Amino acid sequence: MNQNNAFKLKSKRYSEGWVSFLQDWMILILFVILVVVFSLTSSTFRTTNNIMNVLRQASFIAIVAMGEFFVILTGNMDMSISSIIGMVSIFFAGFAVTMGLPVWVAIMLVMLMSIVVGYVNGALVVHGKMPSFIATLVTMNVIKGIYFIYSGGLPISGLPESFNFLGAGYVGVVPFPVILMVIIAFLLYIVTQHTSIGRSFYAVGGNMEASKLSGINTNFVSIFAFVLCAALTAIGALGLTAKTLSGNVMLGEGLLFDVMTIVVLGGTSLSGGRGRIVGVVIGALFLQVISNMMVLVGINTFVQWVVKGVILVAVVLIDSNTKRD
Amino acid sequence: MVVAVGKHMDNIHMNTEKTSRQRVAKEKRPLIEVKNCTMEFPGVTALDDVSFTLVPGECHGLVGENGAGKSTLAKCIIGENRMTKGKIFVNGEEIKLSSYSIRESQSLGIAIVHQEFQLMSDMTGLENIFVGHYENKGPFIDWKEMRIKAAGIMDFLQCDVNLNIPVKRLRTAERQIVQLAKAVLNESKVLILDELTAVLQEKDIENIFRIIDILKKRGMGIIYISHRLDEILDCCDTYTVLCDGKHINTGIVKDIDKPQLIKMIIGRELKQVYMPINQNFGEKLLEVKGLTGPNAFRDIDLEVRRGEVIGIAGLLGAFKTELVHAVFGNHKITKGKIFVNGKEVKIKNPKQAIKLGIGLVPDERRTLGLDMLFDIKDNTTLPSMQRFKKWKLFQDHQAEAKAAYEHNEKMDLTYTSLWQNVKKLSGGNQQKIVIAKWMLRDSDIFLMDEPTRGIDVGAKFEVYSLINELTKQGKAVVLVSPELEELIGLCNRVYIMFEGEIMDVVEGERKTQEVIINSLLGINKNESK
Repeated sequence: MNQNNAFKLKSKRYSEGWVSFLQDWMILILFVILVVVFSLTSSTFRTTNNIMNVLRQASFIAIVAMGEFFVILTGNMDMSISSIIGMVSIFFAGFAVTMGLPVWVAIMLVMLMSIVVGYVNGALVVHGKMPSFIATLVTMNVIKGIYFIYSGGLPISGLPESFNFLGAGYVGVVPFPVILMVIIAFLLYIVTQHTSIGRSFYAVGGNMEASKLSGINTNFVSIFAFVLCAALTAIGALGLTAKTLSGNVMLGEGLLFDVMTIVVLGGTSLSGGRGRIVGVVIGALFLQVISNMMVLVGINTFVQWVVKGVILVAVVLIDSNTKRD
Repeated sequence: MVVAVGKHMDNIHMNTEKTSRQRVAKEKRPLIEVKNCTMEFPGVTALDDVSFTLVPGECHGLVGENGAGKSTLAKCIIGENRMTKGKIFVNGEEIKLSSYSIRESQSLGIAIVHQEFQLMSDMTGLENIFVGHYENKGPFIDWKEMRIKAAGIMDFLQCDVNLNIPVKRLRTAERQIVQLAKAVLNESKVLILDELTAVLQEKDIENIFRIIDILKKRGMGIIYISHRLDEILDCCDTYTVLCDGKHINTGIVKDIDKPQLIKMIIGRELKQVYMPINQNFGEKLLEVKGLTGPNAFRDIDLEVRRGEVIGIAGLLGAFKTELVHAVFGNHKITKGKIFVNGKEVKIKNPKQAIKLGIGLVPDERRTLGLDMLFDIKDNTTLPSMQRFKKWKLFQDHQAEAKAAYEHNEKMDLTYTSLWQNVKKLSGGNQQKIVIAKWMLRDSDIFLMDEPTRGIDVGAKFEVYSLINELTKQGKAVVLVSPELEELIGLCNRVYIMFEGEIMDVVEGERKTQEVIINSLLGINKNESK
């Protein structure tokens, strides 16, 4: 009995007090405050329509960010996601429209392509011992070159109407992309928190050498993170393509910055080993709510860039100054 | 500034006698005086009403267990921590605490040299010594002048270190000397050596002692923090013992002996340091034949049975660490065979080694042993994750916590929660977790690479009794250690390596300090072959 009590005492979470609890959930608290303030001040913001719109817009970028999250978690960085998005979009339309393949075959093919790109990224970093920043910058440009050669930079339109459901469909009042995002986030949450491969991502990012000496296949884990990132990016890209029903190489332009901001907003450490899927989802919603509000108020795109930049700097500053030792 | 060094050089002669060490200059004006220092961190009182005095020419040993407050006191003196209560006097003048900083302490001539390096590893020794204090000739750096001055300092320290190559290519001991040279250049009056020798071999420690002697004669005051009590007894004039943040005693080193010191440090008497070595062996667990690694060890033969502890001794450059890593699948092997349980095995990576029941306690606890972002539970269960599965897929957190709890309790770990980050634990407690990792994994062969490095006396003894306990359970232990006493007290057999080869194997009556030291230095190379 006594033994049992002692165990209970020592297995209590948040024994380090409310400060660490607050630090863990800071982004959620900020998000709630933001939403409450916006809802009280703007009557347009609080309509169901607008909120669903925000969720829908956040969902695909959140899925891409969840991919990037794994790469950053293992202490690397994937710069090639914007190119993967363009590649998936244009080749998907190419397969489905120009070559006339069934949609599901086209999906399989582009998923496979992305996974190959992810594997190449991972292999360059792990086996080629290249810094991930450089390796993925190279693949970014190579892919860009390839899809421009393929398409000449022109969009390919004429995807079947039924495919539109992925990007713009509704289940009741909830947009389908949101449901997809929730399902993926839930699955990835289970993976990160309740499986050994999930914990391996954290271990590799936290201390590569110690993980290796504890019997973790660190090469596999690092490469797997890149593959996972590419695959999730492909899903996001398909969703974005479905919205406009046309393959467009420019679809991923400028998304990298937003994705990085979201991952960092979500409390992910850029040096690896720390972060949560839930944080990434909240980060995506956070950024989208701010963009939405700026649109509602009528702030133009260029000012939005400035504001987003300031947010990223602020978050990184807060993170690096409150880091627990 | 270094002209002053030159003047001193003439007066200094190598003095091997320890007369100066025993002289305590009470009458001199203290360099540093700390009065009634109390240092409180949220929830912890790290120092409780501690007073401390350092006079010129004195080497003052600061001893105590991990967490006793030695480093905190040092940090208060250099201004890294701001004490909650108390006063500091430097050169007799009171310091205004509210504005005291590392910058100010540096300008007052207080320097600290850590065991971890504060050198820029890609810059040469010369650049490192002068960084921030470059000699200028007009707008340009005067390299020639700096080279002359550096040579003067090296002469003064009677050391020969190549200052023209990047410091990362220097030996550990040489890098320490570069750090000391930097302190000399800055004309420091007070030098704090924090665990400087923890990673050094005995020969190099002797050299550091010699330098300390030179610096003392120059009127410097030295605060010497170390876990190795023999060093305190050898090199210091006075000592101060801290325990749980409280001042226990201050006195003159020559008036005490080691057992007394240990008693003060841990607050109890240790009757027996080493328990009788287990002599009850089982079958051969691990055998290595003709193992050769590229540019490292050659033709290594060794074996260890159940219930046996074998030791590996060797100086720096003996490739002991490489050898155990090779057995663990983490270092290249070009030739040779490894047998586990009598069967020949090919170990390509640590994962395979772990499957075969081998566990490695690496020498670098912080960078190789633990994941500093992980909590206690996750660190303890890291190699055994696959054992705690629900429906073969999900991690069973509850079962993991229970197992981690049981093993850590067995190790007498001091902690508040299993979800506590390992970063804040003391070195001894961290090491216990590294060992608990492999106990939980049910490993049979424990490769321990300097398991007592940088941990306090109390924790050391706990590790010793743990090794003893392991042998009683029929485990096999391979122990690498720089401390001969430890090897002799714990091992059934000691393999002595010299520059990658096994020089000698000693057991029974031949297992003495003298025999081992001779082989360590490669002296009876021919005799043993």
